[in-house]
Amino acid sequence: MKHKFPRLLTLLVILMLFLAACGGGQGGEEPTAPPQEEPTQAPAEEETGGGEEAAAPEFDGVIRLGAAVSETGKYAREGKDTRQGYNLWLDWVNNEYGGIRVGDKRYKVEIVYYDDEGDPDTAANLVEKLITEDEVDFLLGPYSSGLTIATSAIAEKYGVIMVEGNGASESIFERGFQNIFGVLTPAGNYTQSALKALADKGAKTVVVAYEDTAFPTSVAEGAIKWAEEYGMEVLAVETYPKDVADVSAIMTKFRDLNPDVFVGGGHFNDALLFVSAAQELGFTPKAMVITVGPSNPQFVEEVGDAANYIIGPTQWEASMTWQGKYLGTPAEYAARYEAMWNEPPTYQAAESTATALALQAAIENAGTLEMDAVREALRNLDLMTFYGPIRFDETGKNVAKPMGAIQIQDGEILVVAPEEAAVADLLYPMPAWEDR
Amino acid sequence: MKGLKQIWRQYRLNRWFLFLLLVGLFALPLPQFVAPERKLVTNSLLFSFTQMFMLITLASNWNLTGGFTGYVDFGHAVFFGLGAYGTGILMNKLGWPFWPAMVVGGMISAVFAVLIGSATLRLKGPYFSISMLGTFVAMREIVRVSKPLTGGGEGLTLPPYLNRPLFYYITLILAILVVTLIWWIRRTEFGATLIAIREDEIGAEMRGINTTLNKITAFWIAAFLSGLVGGLWAYQNTFIDPDVVFFESRTVELVMMTMLGGLGTVAGPVIGAAVIYWLRDVVWASFFQYHLLVEGALLIIIVLFVPEGIMGALGDDSSTSLGRIMRRWFRESPKEGVA
Repeated sequence: MKHKFPRLLTLLVILMLFLAACGGGQGGEEPTAPPQEEPTQAPAEEETGGGEEAAAPEFDGVIRLGAAVSETGKYAREGKDTRQGYNLWLDWVNNEYGGIRVGDKRYKVEIVYYDDEGDPDTAANLVEKLITEDEVDFLLGPYSSGLTIATSAIAEKYGVIMVEGNGASESIFERGFQNIFGVLTPAGNYTQSALKALADKGAKTVVVAYEDTAFPTSVAEGAIKWAEEYGMEVLAVETYPKDVADVSAIMTKFRDLNPDVFVGGGHFNDALLFVSAAQELGFTPKAMVITVGPSNPQFVEEVGDAANYIIGPTQWEASMTWQGKYLGTPAEYAARYEAMWNEPPTYQAAESTATALALQAAIENAGTLEMDAVREALRNLDLMTFYGPIRFDETGKNVAKPMGAIQIQDGEILVVAPEEAAVADLLYPMPAWEDR
Repeated sequence: MKGLKQIWRQYRLNRWFLFLLLVGLFALPLPQFVAPERKLVTNSLLFSFTQMFMLITLASNWNLTGGFTGYVDFGHAVFFGLGAYGTGILMNKLGWPFWPAMVVGGMISAVFAVLIGSATLRLKGPYFSISMLGTFVAMREIVRVSKPLTGGGEGLTLPPYLNRPLFYYITLILAILVVTLIWWIRRTEFGATLIAIREDEIGAEMRGINTTLNKITAFWIAAFLSGLVGGLWAYQNTFIDPDVVFFESRTVELVMMTMLGGLGTVAGPVIGAAVIYWLRDVVWASFFQYHLLVEGALLIIIVLFVPEGIMGALGDDSSTSLGRIMRRWFRESPKEGVA
């Protein structure tokens, strides 16, 4: 009996480890290797010699930025995009732009990276280390809302500015922090452009279904708010649990209400479920807005023709028509990114580059590296980038950038809203499933 | 009391070592106050120690049910989580100050332990382990759907108060208190009862021991203490959501650490937690992708060669092959010289 006990225990623990490994494995698959993987600490020293356009500039000093971004763990994939976004900017600002201009001096930039392993304890410790041991001048944000919440508290404690582009949760900006600035559109505004465009086309009623987790909830609450703001009536709101397998009960209820607009979503898989359930049950609203999924090319592949007319919000698309002060248009950015990393940019990469651009512009506007002056410059920043306009409110949220909306037309993902960035007209109403 | 004295005498050298270690640990943050600009001791080092003290406390708590009583609990982190959420809700929603919130968080854990324990502790062996694992996973989902109270998947933020030296001392003192408490329990009749339950539960019952009552008592004490650690963790992380609080590997690691150090010994969880924490911090950081694999391999090695853990292998009565080898190495050890 005494011998059996530890053996049984081992079997159980190994089983648990296995389960934990599987659980942690979602989305954490081995990243496909980009050309020359950047080392953990990637100051761009080795690149200074190979100046491309501006002949190797003389720098007057160095600005050190710090970033704890996931290299391993559950955000390995998104963390890699985030680093690639930062590194693209780093390469550009040092080798092409000639360093950050502070007054009449030019500063070379270095980024000190650490791997936060997707773990809040590790992330907090590393950010503290960046501030106290590496003595970085400013911080760039990590990937994910949770890690941004954890690390921004450290930045606040030391009064070091952190500019981030990968945490959309509203609670990041609700803590009265003075040192956190986020360039992306917060979750509550996700559906704003789409609903405005639909209201302009004459939509009157809305139903909303969303997954009961952090991000979809913020999105849905925002959708309800904006629908009412634009004079639409919200007929019903339904929630469903994470990893739902069937949404036909919700869709049957919605069919009987006969709304103009359906807003729904959570994860990619939910988007597929909504479309197939609507099709089967013959539920044809005049427009379907699905929050996660439609902007992903894989969605069109999986759904086929039924994907047409479906609308989805998007932070950024390479086809948008913003005219940035630096790095040109989204298309030019995408080309540069592909040349550097051999893959098209994700929006995570784009927002990371935009994060660094916002910090750069604020430093240049301030004309000094003094923390208070740069903070003031960030507050007063009004910058147009390839990622969209950036202007922070007093909480540090970017209030200038509208969320884009795409519509799938003939299998193509086209930006239809807001007008400033649109490349196609919104098609409304969507024809019944059988009339296609 | 004679027994206690004998033990102290026998471990006289160990006592000095322990004394110096404690003095060293208490003095460690002092450079922070005297000369913070010299950076002899950084905040991030203190933070690492804080994490280690928390793990030591958690592993010691786990050892009370898992090691002494022989009830292997795969869901102990549920009490950590309840303490974290208890503290988080009281501070975020009701604006309580930290100290009362942490204590009430611990109490919530203890009450839950009594409730769930009176059902699950009647189960034996793997049935108990699996039921606690189920409790752990269920609690995560319950927290996720109780949105008005817990903030659901969005989580809760706590007012940031990040004083590393303070947290260092709090967790150090808590760890010392918990280890002392467990050392004391081990020497009381209650401790002996727990071990009797592990060795022969039916026999213990036949001799008139209310086994269920004793098991539940051990269970809620451990739960209360882990709840306190959960509250501390939540406060120093300033943010909780279901996934970071109810994190699977936290619950597995406690088992690992205790087994490595030595199941059912007082010092075992302390040594195991310290070894695994620094191993991971220093060595495993470089090949993190495989760290679960390494943990699994380490576990198999422990069970095959040192089933009694580090403590067991060093002890005189070790029956394992590695234990015998180690004893031969340490034959000249002061322990035997004193005896």
